[in-house]
Amino acid sequence: MAEQDLDALLKRMARARVPRRGFLAGSGLAGLSAFIAACTPGASSSPSASNAASSAPSSEPSSGGESPSAAASPSAVAVTETEGTLLMYNWADYVDPDNIEKFKTDFKVTDFTYDTYASNEELLTKLQGGAAGQWDIGAPTCEFVKAMVEGDFIEKLDWSKLPNAALIDPQFQNFYKDADADLNNYHLPKDWGTTGISLRTKVVKEEVKTWKQFFEVAPKYSGRIVVVDSPGDVFVAPLKSLGYSLNSVDPKELGEAREILRAFAPHVLALNSDTYDAQLANEEAVLGLTWTGGIADLVDKPETADTRYVIPEDGTLYWMDTWVIFKNPPHPNSAYAFLNFIQDPAVQAKESETNRYATANTEAKKLVDPKVLADPTVFVPDDVVKSGLLEGAQDVSTDPLRQEIWEEFKSSIGKH
Amino acid sequence: MTSPALAQPRPAATVAAAGRWRARLLTGALVAPALAWYVILLVAPIVIVVLFSFGDRGKTGGYVPAFTLENYAGAIAKPEPFFTSLQFSVIGTILCLLVGLPLAYFIATRARKRKALLIVLLVIPFWTSFLIRTYAWILILGPDGIVGFIQDLTGNTSFRILGTTWGVQLGLVYGYLPLMVFPLYVTLERMDRTLIEASKDLGAGRWATFRQVTLPIALPGLITGSILVFIPMMGEYVIPQLLGYGQTFGIGSALYLRFLEARNWPSGSAMAVFLILIMLIVVTAYVWFTNRGRTVRDVSVV
Repeated sequence: MAEQDLDALLKRMARARVPRRGFLAGSGLAGLSAFIAACTPGASSSPSASNAASSAPSSEPSSGGESPSAAASPSAVAVTETEGTLLMYNWADYVDPDNIEKFKTDFKVTDFTYDTYASNEELLTKLQGGAAGQWDIGAPTCEFVKAMVEGDFIEKLDWSKLPNAALIDPQFQNFYKDADADLNNYHLPKDWGTTGISLRTKVVKEEVKTWKQFFEVAPKYSGRIVVVDSPGDVFVAPLKSLGYSLNSVDPKELGEAREILRAFAPHVLALNSDTYDAQLANEEAVLGLTWTGGIADLVDKPETADTRYVIPEDGTLYWMDTWVIFKNPPHPNSAYAFLNFIQDPAVQAKESETNRYATANTEAKKLVDPKVLADPTVFVPDDVVKSGLLEGAQDVSTDPLRQEIWEEFKSSIGKH
Repeated sequence: MTSPALAQPRPAATVAAAGRWRARLLTGALVAPALAWYVILLVAPIVIVVLFSFGDRGKTGGYVPAFTLENYAGAIAKPEPFFTSLQFSVIGTILCLLVGLPLAYFIATRARKRKALLIVLLVIPFWTSFLIRTYAWILILGPDGIVGFIQDLTGNTSFRILGTTWGVQLGLVYGYLPLMVFPLYVTLERMDRTLIEASKDLGAGRWATFRQVTLPIALPGLITGSILVFIPMMGEYVIPQLLGYGQTFGIGSALYLRFLEARNWPSGSAMAVFLILIMLIVVTAYVWFTNRGRTVRDVSVV
């Protein structure tokens, strides 16, 4: 555990060159309200709608919870008495430190443990190794909820303890459809974003607007390309450049993707999920297949203001991380208290501003700094959402052919 | 008189038997913790790994009991990670030797009063986490560190150390050098200096003295140090990942991929069993070498 803390600390140190906060120079783009209005199917099956609630109850000490709750339910009541301890297992740097302090003060939590994992696969493997009872809450990416429910690693959420769940946009809460719809009772959306192309326009002069162009210019910037160390994201690029679904397990389609990755691998400098922003900042890398995290901070800084994040026009993945409560949590009250607390609009708005990821909480979005709201790296522009470019991920990580291709890619990066 | 005399052996035997029994109990009690430690933390995990290596992967990952040799076939079909690690470990061990031997020799024979200080300086890095020390190299070798300076100096902007095999090799040597120096230092420190004087008196030059006197005496330490350095280098994961940017795909990376990314425990276990076998071969060779070394020395002393 100590080593995990240390790991998180180091990652933070490594990133410290890029200031975590700052002001954004965004181009005035509309927020997500149209998106939400446009795609809100089957809200009736939404657990949040059925269990709806007022926002922060009067007994809940956090501020700013005075949102006009659309579907208030008197039955949902927030937990206010905690066990004084909360054990969180999460991605590094993923909760606003001030919010953590506020939670500790407001709920008299003295022991707040924040352990970190580097990938969903790592989290799942730990759980399969029997680690479920070690932590209270976690935040996997939503497509992994299915495997976690099947493995009996997470609890069904008791919506009557989560009044703020009513504020979540049903579009995100109902991530799972049809036969899998019950899985939506196991998670509470944390935030979401896209996988895309990052570039330093100072060096990369070509227009890179699609994955196809990304692969075309790659040889020119050989040895200066950073890629996130995540198979689910790396497969997006070749499959989308070919016009296939990013969740494809079709051998023919994967075979074509494999050829693209084979040609691409020698040009990659690093597989790096944690500090790709630092490598872009010091120009070790000038082109990247990355997430949005950290990119907005680079744009803010004068020396790296030429950094751009592009949502590829041939389509890309949208991911959503989501809160879960692990099976038999040692501190169930703290877990529910935190989940409700973090979805308080004011708290959640601060989360978006600090982490620079889009919230799924409609009330919180109204409180987010307009500059952050207008930043395409944080909140995806309306027209992109409408164009149908974004595709949600399924857990296809167990596909043997994908694994084989991934291993081949991973073992051949940087080798000519 | 006779009857007590005759009776005498019986109580004595009983006492002896009881004493022996008590001694055995005491020995058992003293050995038990070590035995339990050995069984629980060493034997049991290895048994589990071996069992897993014959199993199947579950639908969402993990392990399902089965009996198949497929995992071994898979591990044999992809030996590249083994060779990558082997190459790094062999070169790393040789470099550690080249740096460690002169250093140990200097501390043991020439440092005089500074000896304690130098030993402390060697130990100090161990007070800090291995991870922090490795991260520090990222700063040292990064574009804001030495490499940036060299780039500015030579005008060659494509020059870099991080993300190359050199970066990994440097990190390995840095990380494990003390494990080479200490055993060497211990053997050289205990060396009888008069042997060197004798060698010189008998007309041997510096090189001949080193080759025929110092080196044979240092051999056990040299082999111990090499083993201590070689084994962790084989399985090293952190250094290639941090300093090599994940470009060097050795056994550590392959095991990580199989266990944590592919969630294929059986396949990872088969690979781990292979690694254990390689280590067994190395250690056996080590024991053989050291024993051989001892015989040679005995003969030379006679």
